[in-house]
Amino acid sequence: MGISTISDWTGQIGVLTIGAIRAEGGTRSHVVRIGGEKDLPCIGSPPTGHMPVVAYEIADDAGRWPAVASRAAGEVSSDPAAWARYAETEIRPDIIRLYLTSTRSHGFSDTAGIRKTIEEVLQATSLPLIIEGSNDPAIDSEVYLTIGEAAAGERILLGTAEANRYRSVAAAAMAYGHSIIAQSPIDINLAKQLNILLREIGIPRDRIAIDPYTGALGYGFEYSYSVMERIRTAALKGDEDLAMPMISSAVDSLTVKEVREAEGDDADRIAVAWELYAMLPAYLAGAAIVSARHPKTIPLLRDACSSIFQAHHGGGE
Amino acid sequence: MASLKPLDIYKLLPKKNCKECGDPTCLTFAMKLAGGKAQPGQCPYLDENAKAILGASTRPPVQKVKIGVGERSFAVGEEMVQYRHEKTFIHEPGIMTAVLDTMPADRIKEITTDVRDYVLTRIGTDLRLNGIAIRCESGNPGEFSRAVEAVESVADLPEVLMSIDPLCMEAGLGVSGNYRPLIHAATHENYHEMCRLAKKFSCPLAIRADTLDSLADLSSKCATEGVSNLLIDLTSTSLHEVLNRTTAVRQHAVTRQTPALGYPVFLDCAQQGLDDAFLITGVVKFGSVLVCNPLSQPARRALLVLRQNIYTDPQKPIQITPGLYRVGNPGMDAPVLLSVNFSLTFFTLQGYLEASRVPSVMLVVDTEGLSVLTAVASGKLQEAMVREAIAKFDLGNAVSHRKLIIPGYAAPLSGRIEDATGWKVLVGPRDAADIAEFLLQEWKP
Repeated sequence: MGISTISDWTGQIGVLTIGAIRAEGGTRSHVVRIGGEKDLPCIGSPPTGHMPVVAYEIADDAGRWPAVASRAAGEVSSDPAAWARYAETEIRPDIIRLYLTSTRSHGFSDTAGIRKTIEEVLQATSLPLIIEGSNDPAIDSEVYLTIGEAAAGERILLGTAEANRYRSVAAAAMAYGHSIIAQSPIDINLAKQLNILLREIGIPRDRIAIDPYTGALGYGFEYSYSVMERIRTAALKGDEDLAMPMISSAVDSLTVKEVREAEGDDADRIAVAWELYAMLPAYLAGAAIVSARHPKTIPLLRDACSSIFQAHHGGGE
Repeated sequence: MASLKPLDIYKLLPKKNCKECGDPTCLTFAMKLAGGKAQPGQCPYLDENAKAILGASTRPPVQKVKIGVGERSFAVGEEMVQYRHEKTFIHEPGIMTAVLDTMPADRIKEITTDVRDYVLTRIGTDLRLNGIAIRCESGNPGEFSRAVEAVESVADLPEVLMSIDPLCMEAGLGVSGNYRPLIHAATHENYHEMCRLAKKFSCPLAIRADTLDSLADLSSKCATEGVSNLLIDLTSTSLHEVLNRTTAVRQHAVTRQTPALGYPVFLDCAQQGLDDAFLITGVVKFGSVLVCNPLSQPARRALLVLRQNIYTDPQKPIQITPGLYRVGNPGMDAPVLLSVNFSLTFFTLQGYLEASRVPSVMLVVDTEGLSVLTAVASGKLQEAMVREAIAKFDLGNAVSHRKLIIPGYAAPLSGRIEDATGWKVLVGPRDAADIAEFLLQEWKP
């Protein structure tokens, strides 16, 4: 009989490329490609589409970062370039996601500072980058143009566009050849609408990653899980406005009560569990990039994702 | 056999519109049958042919199997869908902590006691580990029954007895066979004997074979022997293969393409270095009985919460009771934040408020479980209900000021809320993560 999975999908997820090597005008050692799947995640041998991508998240201002994550990284967390170097050599994620948390301070205006940070981080690591900018519309334009320009040629993934503030992000991405993260609040229709808006202002389909927003485990994670499954299956059924690869980050995981109230080593262990138990399901629901902030989560998540992706695990490089 | 559509079912009904089933017409009854919301037996006039067809196609495509007896017993199976958003997943997987019959009896009792007593209470629900799996490592019937006795001596928990040797299995069943343990496992080599034991003790049986075809063949053989309370063991050392096989089995079951695979799934998640990954995959991707090594505190908490999340019925979002919620020890000058009764919104805001260390009051209004953005868009959040909530929950006596911080996404309503309530409205951030910064910079009573 040969019983196997039933695959009658007609759609395919688009491919997004992050990073640029020298020949392409960048300075990265390699590029990361996500998407390309014609089925549910990791179905088929070999599975359709690209390898899982695990992002390690760092911040330029560790004062605005979960203490359990910056403490685990140690001294390097006071210097984004050192943190990025440590990430590449010690933590070994597939990609680094830099949050410019300094832009979230009241009355922020130090764009020269973030330009310098980005240049130093690009020097310190050869991994492809995701860079997250401000979340205040008043400074978006200046911040995103600064990021876009400072990383020109590097084909970064730039975050984050939302339905009512996407123009600055989109303009910076288009001007400097980057891709963007399109975030919507756990709703398939809003995700689709935002992608249509972005298309209408000229962002090509292959330059968008969908972020459906991920609630922390125990704090609404199930909504995010199902929205990701719905977006993925809608795309596989042929909805091209949802056929972009997804990115998921457990952004709230390290601020939940379970982690906040733990002490010492327990705090690290519960932080790692809370990230792993949300991000691996997110990968199984269809997220091409899964992200974590605790350095100890990264190798566990990479091993788990690659063993789900591959018929025989153990490789990973 | 494919699932029947309402019109196909309607053709099999008497079309009398007699209303004896409780529905006004045969057509509405047919629609309920198709949706699994009615049973064929409710129609008194079905002919034998219709009964046979409807009986086979309206029973749940995954067999219900009960494991254990008493308070901690649990059922698995009865699943109807591939994705939880299509309807809901029904029965949470049972998490069975493994002991070895080669362990000292004290260690076995210690692990069993821990599983018996561990409880995590979240959102008013007690989350527990489900039972004990006893592995026959010794190959010795005496050792195996001694281990089962050690488990039985401290708890009445559901059990999995794990041995492919019928002699060992019979020895174990001699101890706990009356308490409906899961027998693991029948193979093509031993199924006659294992089926005999399953019938003798009325126990469910897990079956094991290398391929899905071979499993379908074995389940049919067991059914022919009279054992239909089966679980299908899909354990593999490759997690990739586990995912592909659990997905295929659920697809073949719910589409009724291969009824011989319409049974709940068993997974042995005690896999070198990847226990968490196996358990996570088992919980989200169709596992029903998951065997694992004793879990660390962080792993068991995360696992139980993940299971609770995935098995929450998406048709009934968890709502928070509207009212005033105090964070920290708010005084009369504490800030008041308007929020909605969507659980995710509530917990997220509450979490960030706690983290901010600014004591505050949350005014939660009833948006029927919608988030701020969707409630504003659909008109479920309106100024009148804010005014009513302020009066109903006596907010005026909870604080001495008259200022209300509303969510950033509710900014379009700020003027109308101000007019309707007479309270001064401050528009807060859209993202709860920014609330600490906002309170620090903007809040003055």
